[in-house]
Order: sequence, then structure tokens, then C-alpha cells
Amino acid sequence: MRHQANPWITSNLWLLSAAMLPAIILVGALLFFTGWAITFSFTDLGLTGRKAVEWSWVGLENYERLFTRKGFLESLWTTVIFVFFSAIVGQSVLGFLLAATLRGTVSTTRSVVEVCIMLGWLLPDIVAAFLWSATTSQTGLINSLFVVPFGLKPINFINDFALPVVTLANIWKGTAWSYLLFVAALDSVPREIIEAAKIDGATRWQRAWLVVLPIIRPHIATNLLFITIWTFTYFPLIFAMTGGGPGRQTETLALFLYNQSFARGNLGFGSAISVAMLLIVGALSTVYLRMLREPK
Amino acid sequence: MLKRTLLASAAALALLAATAPAQAVSIMYAEWLASLVEPGIANYEAATGEKVEAIKLPGAAYDQRTSLDLAAGTAADVIQLDSFMVSEFASSGYLEPLTESAKGWDQYQYYMPGLLDVASYDGAVYALPTDTDVRMLWYDKSNFEKAGITVPWEPKSWADVLDAAQKLKDAGVQYPFQLPAGIKQGEGATMQGFYMALLGADVPEGDRNRLLNRETGQWIGDSPAIRKTLELYRKVYHDIGQPADLNYAADPGAAVREALANDQLGILASGSWEDACLWDCNGVNLPSREERDAMVGWTPWPGSGDPGNKATTNISGGWTIAVNSKAADKAKAFQLLSTIFDVGNFKDWTIKNHRMGVRTDISESPEYMADAYLAKATALAADTTGRDTIPGYQTVSALVQTMTTEILDGASVEDTVKNYHDALVDEFGADKVITYE
Repeated sequence: MRHQANPWITSNLWLLSAAMLPAIILVGALLFFTGWAITFSFTDLGLTGRKAVEWSWVGLENYERLFTRKGFLESLWTTVIFVFFSAIVGQSVLGFLLAATLRGTVSTTRSVVEVCIMLGWLLPDIVAAFLWSATTSQTGLINSLFVVPFGLKPINFINDFALPVVTLANIWKGTAWSYLLFVAALDSVPREIIEAAKIDGATRWQRAWLVVLPIIRPHIATNLLFITIWTFTYFPLIFAMTGGGPGRQTETLALFLYNQSFARGNLGFGSAISVAMLLIVGALSTVYLRMLREPK
Repeated sequence: MLKRTLLASAAALALLAATAPAQAVSIMYAEWLASLVEPGIANYEAATGEKVEAIKLPGAAYDQRTSLDLAAGTAADVIQLDSFMVSEFASSGYLEPLTESAKGWDQYQYYMPGLLDVASYDGAVYALPTDTDVRMLWYDKSNFEKAGITVPWEPKSWADVLDAAQKLKDAGVQYPFQLPAGIKQGEGATMQGFYMALLGADVPEGDRNRLLNRETGQWIGDSPAIRKTLELYRKVYHDIGQPADLNYAADPGAAVREALANDQLGILASGSWEDACLWDCNGVNLPSREERDAMVGWTPWPGSGDPGNKATTNISGGWTIAVNSKAADKAKAFQLLSTIFDVGNFKDWTIKNHRMGVRTDISESPEYMADAYLAKATALAADTTGRDTIPGYQTVSALVQTMTTEILDGASVEDTVKNYHDALVDEFGADKVITYE
């Protein structure tokens, strides 16, 4: 049977348009801002000064500079490392392992661990940044608990190992999401299938690799899609912890974009960076979305 | 039918608008200026019976926040700004010229003309200064004694400064010479660090020791002075091994204060405001004069020591308060501005916080002249210079900070200068950039 809408609704054009209005505004706003960034990436628009009002078209100059000037490629590499280790390896794998191992444990252990994981997630980024800075500085908690008592010289972690520290902080901050998602995913695996595999003589490892993982593959892809997009454009934690430094050691694309747009004041170049980020995230998302499809 | 509904809603909206209270005057200011702004707001509210919408912001990334808000048209009616941004914003039409409104205010005549110049664009004044400053090297006396360096310390060249920094490092001082670098502190790295060194790195003739040739209006993309300054950064951060983290702390100002409190700081390149800000910028619970003098001392920044260069260098900045050109009620906005700067409030703040005065009715007052610290700092101001406050300076300043970033990353001076030159050409065009051999 074809679905029939109420004839009163379909004949009332005003009501229909009114009902569509929120959707049109939302889609319009999304298109407007993306269109704005794409348009101005071909200009020399400035944040302040004369170029803020009298900007001019510069063609592909801003895009050329992504590759000929120092900064973009370096930041892209930093971002790739940061996303790979903190989101994909860190949050996703750790989240999965925690979800898998905690399934069999008693509920109190599980609750305690869950609360601990959630605390990191719930804490505001700025508070987390101060916490991590204080913990990893030369006079911080890690040094006074684990380094100095053993007679070693205190290490200025946040200065000497900036990117690993920021990566760790982000793993700590974001694992809860992956954990929750994988708990739900593992719950959705039918018990009968596992039992059947067991009877067929599959080992624990085989059951995980050949039975459970293929079933939750769409969840893995969804999770990767989300955390990759978030982490790729993630700003506040790194900005507050290191501001991209020391030097450029932790300057991910989001920070590079911020510095070029708002410190240097070149909104045209900043827009080109954001368009490039859009394309990269878009390409990655396509890969994940393909993973989501059922194999033929 | 529809027409009638529309009319009815329009009438309802008009009624609502009429009954809503008039929009309050709003003001944006950095947390560290609260002790000047907040009593001014209270006085304004008491005098007019109207509430002021006060937007207090953290000092970190304050410049970026105000730039963005002004560009987006969402800034407050009255805005505190670093003086170098005034011409920049005025040229984009973001600020209201104050010359006319100021004529009707009896205290306007006392502002020092040189300082109003910094806040002017195309012949009109766009902001009123809160204070000016001088820059110097602060040092921790107890650490100097530990390192066996004579106090009072009077370095005559960069070699003397580096020598002291090395001794401090050898004596176990964690931060031997905090020379501001990198982009996170914004203008602070350019002014307190790079420009102070640059001014002493070459002879002053033809602006060889500056970022801009002020006669031709061309930016200097490469010069012996820029290279020597970068070399100094390289020595401090790589040869001596000053850690870079203070420049990137969650709150760099707080990190410096903490390092000083923990006796970890040797030399700090900063400015006259540190007489209060090393403890608290709003002057809360400052140690006594004697206690402060026992803890820290200061000395003028020496030039590099090469013949013909300046013996000591100095560059002055300062902050201002301006009126947004989009302010709904400009007369009220100016009234708030002049209430904040009313002599009673302004003089109190200037003297209590040891700020350098910008008005003769304050700087020539007996209380101001009796202050020994201000007298010494003002002496330094006799041979000072200003920033290159023409539009574009904000961009150049960010590019200068990027140069120091690259040195921290271990890039060579040669590559760093080349990147800087390329970026200047990108921004201003090849005819606006020159090179000094």
C-alpha cells in the first residue's frame, strides 16, 4: 500500500512550507557557511585592516601556499599522528578492549572502571588541560610520585614529550565514547551464534576474530567515523595545554588554522586551510562509510 | 487573513520593543584591567542609574577574541584594546573617532600628545590610552647570588646576558633566561622578546634595527639585525637550554609567576608592569616594596655590544579603551569611557599599580612624582621608541612570532628568515618588502 498523507495537509501549501522552514533554515545555514569558506578561500580577506573591507580575488594562490609555504604539511603530519595514536589506536582499541574484558567481570568492578572512564569524558576541556599540564610538568604529580622517589632527575614531560603527552590526554579524555559504543555493540551480538561457534570448536581468539568482529563491523566503522572527524578538528585541549608548542610540535591543523586566521589575521588563507581539512575529512569519511556497507 | 495575522504580530512585536528597557551599554575588558574598569563601571551606574553589561575576559588570547568580535560585528560598545591594534581596527572602520566627543570633556586636554598619536589613524583619535610602559630584564636576586653573579646586575652586552644565563643554568636554575617566544603569547613575544633584542642588534640609521622602514613604509624582510636576533634566540633556547614550556603554558603569565615563586626563574625579559604583575596585576595582596626589592631587581636591556649599536634598548606599548563604531548609543558609550578615565579613579589605579602615566594631571601630581619605582622607569622612557603601528603590524607581529617558533623547532636562521620574507611578500606584495645587506 502506498503511504497516503492526510489530504488536508497536502492541500495546505502554507502549512507545508511552514513545516519545512526549520529544515530549510538548517540546510541553508550549513550550505551558507561552507559556501562562505569556499568562496573566501579564493580571496585575500583579512581579519582586520584594509583587507577586511577591500579584499580582492587571488585565484588559487592560497591553495598553492598550502604546499609551498611552511606550516600546512607539517601540521597535517602532526594531525595524522595525533589522530592515529589518540583516536584510532588509543580511544578505539582501548575502548574495545575495556568493553570486551569488562563484560565478564562482576558489576562493582565494572561500575568503578566505568565511572573512572566517564570522569575524563565529563570534565570540561579547559579543566582537563590545566590538570594535565599540572600533572606532567617538572614539579607535577608524575614526577613527584614516580620519578623523584626513585632518585631520578625530574623530567619536564610537557616540554620534552609534548605530542605524546597531548595524545595521552586525549585518549584519557575520549575513551569513554568508544567504550560505551562497543558495550552496546557487543550486547547486540546474539549469544546463540557464539555458542554455536564454541560447539564447532572455535577457540576464544577465533570466536573474537571470525565471529564477533564481523558482526560488529558497522559499529566499528561508525565509531571510527565519529572519532576521526572529532579528533581531526579537535582544538580546545591542545590549545590550552600547549598552544601548538613547543615550537610547532603539537600544532595540529585546527591550531594552524586558528593561528593563521586569528593571530596572523589572514582569513583567506585560513579558509583555504579549512576547505583542505574538509576535503581530507570527507575522503576519510567515505572510506569509513564503505566499511559500513555489507559485503556482497 | 494572512495579512491580518501579520499585522497583528507586527503590532505585538512593536509593543514588546516599546516596553523592553533600553539596551545597556556593554564593555569588554581583560581580567587584569579589572581594577581600573570595574570602579569606573560602578561610578557610571551610580551616576546614571543604568546597568552596564560588563564582559570580563581572560588575558590569554584577548587580542584574537576582540579582533574576531569586531570583525563579526558582535563586539561590545566599549572595548579595551592593545594600542597597536587601534590603527588596524580604525582602518577597517570598526572604531568610532573620538575627537568630537572628547572636545566636550574637560580632562581630555591632559593626555600626552605622543600617546594619543599611537591611538590615532588618519588624523583622528580613536582610543584613549590607559597606560604606557617600558621594557627591561627582571632577575631573581636569590638565584643570582646562588650562581655567583654580582647584584645589582648591570649587563653591558648580549654576551654578558648569555654569560649570566649560562651561570644560572650551571647553578641549577630551571629557567635561566625566559625570553618570550612563540605564537601563544601573541604580542608579548614580539615586544618583550624579539623587538627589544632587534633594536640593539644593529645601528639605528635607516631603521636597520627595526621591522619597518618608517620613511618608505616598507617592511624589512631580511637584515643583519633580524638574523642576529634569531641567533640570540638560538643561543638561549638551544646552546644554554632554556626550556620552552613557559611560552606554551595553559596560562603563560601564571606559569611565570609560579616559576618565580618556586625560585626557578633567573632572568625574565618583560616590562614595567611586572612590578605588580609578578605577583598580581590587579594589585591584590602585593608584598611590600622592601620585600619585592629583596626578591627581584631589574636592569635595562643592553644592546648587542657591537660598535654603533644602542647601549640600551627600549620600546613602549600600552593599552587603550575605544568605542565600537557599531555602538547603539555612542554618547553613552563615551560617557562610560570618560567615567572610567575620570581623574579620581584613573589616578588611583595608575599609582597603586605603578603604571606609567599617560596624562599630565596624573604624572605631574606629587603622589606620582614621589614614587621611586615610577621615577626610575620613567627615566628609561626618555630614550624609548614605539611599535610600527601602521595597519599590517598585527600580521607582521604574528610572522615575527612564527620566526621564533621555527628557531625553537631547531630550524636554521637562514631558512627562518627566508620563510619570513616569503610570508611578508605574500601579505604585502614584493614592492612593500625590502632587504638590508
